[in-house]
Amino acid sequence: MTVTTPATRAANTVHTGRMAASVGLAVRSLRNIRRLPSTFLPAVLMPIFQAIAFAGTFFAITQIPGFPTDRSINWFMPLAVVLGSGFAGIGIGLAMVRDIETGFYDRIRMTPAPRSSLITGPWLSALARSLIVTSAVVAVGMLFGARLSGTIVGLLPLYVAGLGVATIGTGWALGLAFLFRDMRGAAIMQLTLFLVLFLTEAQAPIMVMDGWLETVARVNPFTYILRLARSGFLTDTPTRDILLGLGAIVVLSSLTMSFARRQLGRLDR
Amino acid sequence: MPDSPIVAEGLVRHFGSADDVVKAVDGVDLEVRPGEIFGFLGPNGAGKSTTVRMLATLLRPTGGVARVAGFDVVAEADGVRRNIGVALQDAAIDPLMSGRELLKLQAVLYGLPPSRHAERAAELLERVGLSAAADRRVGTYSGGMRRRLDLALSLIHEPVVLFLDEPTTGLDPMSRISLWEEIRRLNADGTTVLLTTQYLEEADQLADRVAIIDHGVIVREGRAADLKAEVGSPTLLVVVDDDKLDVAAGVLARFGELRPSAEGTLGVGLADGPSLVSAVVRDLDEAGVMVKNLELHEPSLDDVFAEATGYRLEGAT
Amino acid sequence: MTSGLTISHRAQTWAMSRRSITGLRRQPALVIPSMVFPLFFCALGTASFGRAIDLPGFPDVDSYLDFALAGAIVQGILFGSVVSAVGLATDIENGFFDRLLAAPSTRPGIVIGRLASGMTYGAFQTLFFTVVLIPFGLTIRGGVPAVIAMMVAGVFVALAVGGLMGSMAIRTGSSEAVQGAFPLLFVALFFSSAFFPRETMSGIYGALADLNPISYMVEGLRDLVIVGVTWSALFRAIVIPATMAAATVALALHSLRKRVAAS
Repeated sequence: MTVTTPATRAANTVHTGRMAASVGLAVRSLRNIRRLPSTFLPAVLMPIFQAIAFAGTFFAITQIPGFPTDRSINWFMPLAVVLGSGFAGIGIGLAMVRDIETGFYDRIRMTPAPRSSLITGPWLSALARSLIVTSAVVAVGMLFGARLSGTIVGLLPLYVAGLGVATIGTGWALGLAFLFRDMRGAAIMQLTLFLVLFLTEAQAPIMVMDGWLETVARVNPFTYILRLARSGFLTDTPTRDILLGLGAIVVLSSLTMSFARRQLGRLDR
Repeated sequence: MPDSPIVAEGLVRHFGSADDVVKAVDGVDLEVRPGEIFGFLGPNGAGKSTTVRMLATLLRPTGGVARVAGFDVVAEADGVRRNIGVALQDAAIDPLMSGRELLKLQAVLYGLPPSRHAERAAELLERVGLSAAADRRVGTYSGGMRRRLDLALSLIHEPVVLFLDEPTTGLDPMSRISLWEEIRRLNADGTTVLLTTQYLEEADQLADRVAIIDHGVIVREGRAADLKAEVGSPTLLVVVDDDKLDVAAGVLARFGELRPSAEGTLGVGLADGPSLVSAVVRDLDEAGVMVKNLELHEPSLDDVFAEATGYRLEGAT
Repeated sequence: MTSGLTISHRAQTWAMSRRSITGLRRQPALVIPSMVFPLFFCALGTASFGRAIDLPGFPDVDSYLDFALAGAIVQGILFGSVVSAVGLATDIENGFFDRLLAAPSTRPGIVIGRLASGMTYGAFQTLFFTVVLIPFGLTIRGGVPAVIAMMVAGVFVALAVGGLMGSMAIRTGSSEAVQGAFPLLFVALFFSSAFFPRETMSGIYGALADLNPISYMVEGLRDLVIVGVTWSALFRAIVIPATMAAATVALALHSLRKRVAAS
């Protein structure tokens, strides 16, 4: 029996590049979403529906004195983008729970791919999904009368908000997936994101709110991310709000992404 | 030995909280020699899979150390991963992807140069006989096909060490034999193989050396032939009526030490060899015990196992 | 012979109902969304749209809460109906249903038992939401008679939706398919006056809401709360869902007959 030493086997001495591994995992994620129509279609159709349904049902809300726009679609379309992007991140978390439960994730963990790429890969997929959802919702929104308050540059904060919330959602969902390793994590990630996105200026501006919701919305960083998202479609969004929104994205993204990374490290305990 | 492909010292793995601990692996020492097939034999729950998962960097040991392919499994996990291939008990596959896509993903994650991905995938698909099904979704594959793909996935980077966790459990005899041949072929190319199994025949047929694990510890280790010789005397298995079991046991005990056997049978080690068989039957007859069935077994791994653990691995003789 | 079978029918139906209800109690995870979500949106809406009630087109209410209760009840019943239907589909999936068919049990009883639990739940949700929201400022102008009428309405709405989802469960035999149909119901709820008055909507959206029977059902329920017990309110709140229930239950029984004939 000949014994082959490691050095003579070319294949197993190569270091796996972080970027290559991330892209490989992202491609897999995007391809799989397309192949499961029960997850893909709702992911795009729900935000479109939400934009239209909220704008149609609460059409009259713009008549409240001082409302920052005269078209309800301008108010609700960015909300739909944020909801859709957040749930794109959750979708990544759900896919991760599935991978862990089926044992496929063991296979991925046994490869020499850098651990960071195990997070960045799915994250890239979530970003791509956010771009798709945002574009689809904007297209439909425009058809239903959404109008930018300024130039086309106003679309940029909307896309940035979408990418930001997708990042936050991904970090949170992945962390929970690694922590719970089963469908309990799935339930929690959906519920928490839903709550935190709605306890904001989701439905109405703070100026018309009463009591408890006003207090909660004021301290909820997602209120400012929503303001960032809406800034291109409303009149006179103060720079302060835009900066707070960007700041909230940066801070929450770092927190949730490090949560995910830390939980990944504990998967072997 | 500094260049042993697998070395473990005092490997321990506990699950659960302090007051409710499950000691899945409770102090395992291992040393696998370069180029050998090492068999890890034991029943379900013995700690085989847990040991493999620790060596494969999937599970952090609670205690002890292990080095695979020269790298520490905890501190140098990436080094281990680059050099090992693993096929676990349940084929770890993604039903939405095709066989070819899965192999290519593996190639990416193992850092193979992109120009080699397609070629290497095709090579392995051919080798495990999945070329025809390569572009179908893995969800449509049969159980046997999934196992074969799992094996292919573990070989993408030509590992020096291969871990196979119960590779033939649930397979039909044809597939089992064909997998054995593949394992022998891989081993002939120089791959060190550690395989876990609950099948005595598999350990007997494939392994150069065997370790018997029970309740998280290794109870016997060595070459199969040596272990059998240690048991020494052949086992005489006798089937009698249930109400005569005690009487028969008394008779048999005069001929050698009683050995564990299946329900309703009695086993005795005939220290002075097979010539005693007629004496046993005569004495049983004189004691009024009718022998319903009688078998004489040269020592097998089954006997080694029974002697080491106190019970038989596979229910029947 | 007939009276013997009749008693057996009733007993079987009762047993099936109890099984469904026990099933509901044992799975709080399924029940909670149908209780918590509608109440959450009620609370959210009241805090967000407090000033909206002064807008033209809004009925005369003291608070958005009075306006929102009806929509919350219908929403809760929709969510809850999925649970019963998924239970039925699961029974079919794992073969329990075929066993029921093989036994000398009453065929309609199998379905009606499930629907009965949905109806009980619908009445319960109506009462629960009303009672829970009173400390938060809810005023029922119609008083106790209105609440009773609302519970009757809740029963029929639950029956109507339950019959529809039930036929879906029987036809597809798949709990996934039933869960997938739920979003469509949710969409239908939104294209109605469940959350805001129809009078404030415009264009195609308003037209759809005008055509949607859910709008009238909700408005009937709402009038019981904010106006009182009137014939118009009773008609819209009870007769409309009762009529729909008759149709959907017939559909469910028809689907059952077809399934039995096919097996």
